[in-house]
Amino acid sequence: MKKIIAILLVLTMVLAVFSGCTGQSEQPASDVKVSEEEGKPAEQAKPVEITVVTSYGGDDGNRGNYENAIAGFEDATGNKVLDASATANEDWKAKVMTDFETGTEPDVLFYFLGADANSIIEADKVVSLEEIRAEYPDYASNMKEDLLVPSPADGNVYGVPSSGFWESLFVNTKVLEAAGVKVPDGDYTWDQFLADCQKINDAGYTPVAVSLQEVPHYWFEFSVYNNGNVSNHLDMPTSAVDATGEKWAAGFEDLKQLYDLGYLPENTLTATDAETVQLVADGEAAFLIDGSWKVGYFVENCSDHLGDFALRYVPGKDERKATDIIGGISMGYYITRQAWEDSEKRDAAIEFISHMTSDEVLSTFVTTEVTALKNGASPAGLNELQQSAAEMTGGVTGIVAPVQDKLSSEARADLFSNVKNIVTGKITIAEAIESALSIG
Amino acid sequence: MNSAIYRDKKPLLLFLLPAFVFLTFFLYYPFIQNIFNSFMNISGLGTASKGMIDPWYGNYVKMYEDPNMMTAFKNTMILTVCTIVIQVGFALVLALLVDRIKKGAKLFRTVYFFPIVISATALGLMFNLVFLYKGGMLNQFLQKVFGVAENIDWKSEEHFLLTMLTPVMWQYIGFYFVVLVTGLSSIPVEMYEAAQLDGANSMQRIRYVTLPLLRNVISTCLILAITGALKVFDLPWVMMGSGIPMDRSWLMGTYMYNQAFLRGDVDYSSAIAVMIVVLGVVFAKLANTLFKQKDY
Amino acid sequence: MHYSYRHNKTREKKKISVSQIITYAVLIGWGLTTIYPFFWVIINSFRVKGKIRSDSFSIPWGSSFTLDNYRVAAERADFGNAYLNSLVVSIAVTLVVILLAGFAAYALVRYKFKGRNFIHSLIIASMMFPVFSTIIPVFRMEVAWGIASTGNRWLSILSVILPQIAGNLSFAIIVLMGFIRSLPISLEESAYIDGCDVVRIYFRIIMPIARPSFATVAIFTFLWSYNDLFTQMFLLRYPKEKTITLLLNEINSQAGVNYGLMASSVVLVVIPVLIVYVVLQKNIIKGLTVGAIKG
Repeated sequence: MKKIIAILLVLTMVLAVFSGCTGQSEQPASDVKVSEEEGKPAEQAKPVEITVVTSYGGDDGNRGNYENAIAGFEDATGNKVLDASATANEDWKAKVMTDFETGTEPDVLFYFLGADANSIIEADKVVSLEEIRAEYPDYASNMKEDLLVPSPADGNVYGVPSSGFWESLFVNTKVLEAAGVKVPDGDYTWDQFLADCQKINDAGYTPVAVSLQEVPHYWFEFSVYNNGNVSNHLDMPTSAVDATGEKWAAGFEDLKQLYDLGYLPENTLTATDAETVQLVADGEAAFLIDGSWKVGYFVENCSDHLGDFALRYVPGKDERKATDIIGGISMGYYITRQAWEDSEKRDAAIEFISHMTSDEVLSTFVTTEVTALKNGASPAGLNELQQSAAEMTGGVTGIVAPVQDKLSSEARADLFSNVKNIVTGKITIAEAIESALSIG
Repeated sequence: MNSAIYRDKKPLLLFLLPAFVFLTFFLYYPFIQNIFNSFMNISGLGTASKGMIDPWYGNYVKMYEDPNMMTAFKNTMILTVCTIVIQVGFALVLALLVDRIKKGAKLFRTVYFFPIVISATALGLMFNLVFLYKGGMLNQFLQKVFGVAENIDWKSEEHFLLTMLTPVMWQYIGFYFVVLVTGLSSIPVEMYEAAQLDGANSMQRIRYVTLPLLRNVISTCLILAITGALKVFDLPWVMMGSGIPMDRSWLMGTYMYNQAFLRGDVDYSSAIAVMIVVLGVVFAKLANTLFKQKDY
Repeated sequence: MHYSYRHNKTREKKKISVSQIITYAVLIGWGLTTIYPFFWVIINSFRVKGKIRSDSFSIPWGSSFTLDNYRVAAERADFGNAYLNSLVVSIAVTLVVILLAGFAAYALVRYKFKGRNFIHSLIIASMMFPVFSTIIPVFRMEVAWGIASTGNRWLSILSVILPQIAGNLSFAIIVLMGFIRSLPISLEESAYIDGCDVVRIYFRIIMPIARPSFATVAIFTFLWSYNDLFTQMFLLRYPKEKTITLLLNEINSQAGVNYGLMASSVVLVVIPVLIVYVVLQKNIIKGLTVGAIKG
């Protein structure tokens, strides 16, 4: 009967724990939310506990910085942060949305500033900057006003921007050297680029590293960019045949041209993004369009030959200069209405966000990315790749947010899943655009 | 045959109720919500529904017309057959062989279990390195040993089926093996002795003693194989995510996940889930009738 | 103990037969394929980071060898708590599942009643429900009950245990049904005649005889509960309450390039499961129980 005893033991344990816990909610232990105490008179300088969710968890490159910043906040104010951060991915987004649906949302949320946050803004679950500033006029005063990101839902600003990103061209200089190609600079044109690709191809290397089946995002973005300019980049087409629709179509044509000319990896339709980026890291491919987050990848994995890599500009065409890049601030800190209505939590949340977006703290998060800080960030100790990136961003003439963020994530997923069909001729470009637009 | 013990049905409730309480709360009730979801318009996991779709069975029509769904169905059927023949079949052979030997039986039983323990992510990682286009183990092996000239893209349209099925098949043979070994262990030894006294050799013993007595367990394995194949998701997803190449490698499980999470089409994904359940029950019942379990 | 005397039965010959050679060849061959990946994971967990992509199939000697992967994993994860959480969850789930599934399987096999077929279909159906289609309603329900997303470690663990029990019940019931059905009813009948009621029959006769089957179900239930990333990921948010699988999964770079760290995570996650398996496996020895009961 050992088994029966074991079972009974476990059941008793579980029941004991359960009943012990329900008993606990009368006396808050350190891991029970303070919200249970609503109505108790606030004591002097009583530590408040706020729940925070960010994407600086798991394997995010900034996790260490984030945890340090939280510790700094806790020491300085005596408040406590219950942190439930995770890595940003689709599951995480689903969790966040579900939390809002079930009333278990956190007090402070670090989330996307774009269309992904539409549903919580429309449901009035987060507080706008205007409303916050009515009570706390100095809130986010260290941010440039014109870089604050209005929500696509109603045009108001809700989140305080943190650090942003840029997208540009990574090059493997050793491969270029071997193929007899000059490392491009700020006036790189599309035609020069095509000629260079041919040389690289002839020398036995892969000119462009991209996984069309998994991440055609950056090439889409810049191809569209190349057929327009900085000011009209964010226009959205209403059909495949209006002016913007034609612009998009032309962008796809350029991409298809690269595929037909054989400048993409042989297995671009089945390789993963990790595989194709590896080509650049291993010295088998020359050009890669990617974002500021990828700098960390090269630093981690190619530390012994980091000098092989550099940041440059995606070749420009017609109205777009090569030095016009894509970038912006995509995520920021929100205060939830739930926290706002609780006066203690409100104060703590304001303090927390102000701390996290202060010049000093943001500088630890940032190396070369875009911020909205009036005084700019002052990161310390850049390595050679970061320096190359800093030079690149220093020479930028125009910066605009990615137009793909204006599509809903479903439409985006639909459009990008069709890229492989476009280049193999299974679907026409117009059909692919129409299909995405119909999802909205 | 209904033994006297079990004529009195009162204890029946006691025995069934606890399990069913759990099943109802945590499986049936949520799934009924899922069924409703398949008639509604929901676009993000966790967000509220936006009212019914028009017509309410729209998702089901969509499934019928969706070429990817057809691909998924076809591939899943192939997978199911392979699972039954290869996984269960080979596991049965292994179980019988291990049953016969004295030395090393325990070692084999331990080692065959390993693949199931390792997570799909890690296995997918390893197999990806085996099948990798540039520098993968298989390509390197072919080039060095057989002098094959070029890299073979194992995930291309010619080869993807093999590449997807191999790891999935390989991983769970150990599962059926353990189940079958357990079944074998409960066959009374006296049966074998009686057969041997009657002059049966080992093949005959297998045919007339082992297999019939294993019938129930084999039937169970068939049900598990069918339901498993319809649901399978993690390993194929890690290896051939998003239906590569060119939307040809979809399985019902991976397609459903893709629709729910990457395409945000939660209602469609719910409809696919319903379809998976219906198919699972139908096929499992079919297998059950064909391979009827016997009472002893 | 009660070793069967089948092992003393001669195979008519003392020397090694062809069939034995073939048998061992097949078994060893297959064994190598199942061991190899595990071996691969272990050697790569000791390999220096840069080398894995280029050279992952050889043994890391000398400069390639490193304990860094384990060190990094240990720094980033609070192992003690995580292992405890995992074990509590999986053991609780396993015990409850065995108990309840055993009951249900026994009843479904032995009792004939109207609707038995229907319930059987229901159970098969519930095996098909994918985790992510049920998780959100379950989450909502548990929030309403006040056990989910509370920040209280034990409540969160409970919130994981409950759906996992349900998730594994259907599998357990189906498998146990297959096994219990094979048991000769004569044993139960003699016990009945001796005056046992049904409940006693269950505990005194069925469970002991079907011990191998229960052990098998236990192994897989433990394994699946342990490895069930999705449920854990959704319900366990705060660091204190996370399980080891969840923790190590988070550490792994999504870009999937730090293979060494990933390999060491796999090894760390896998060890408890293997221990459980080895322990439970002892119950599946052939002839262990059958010889014990007369008649």
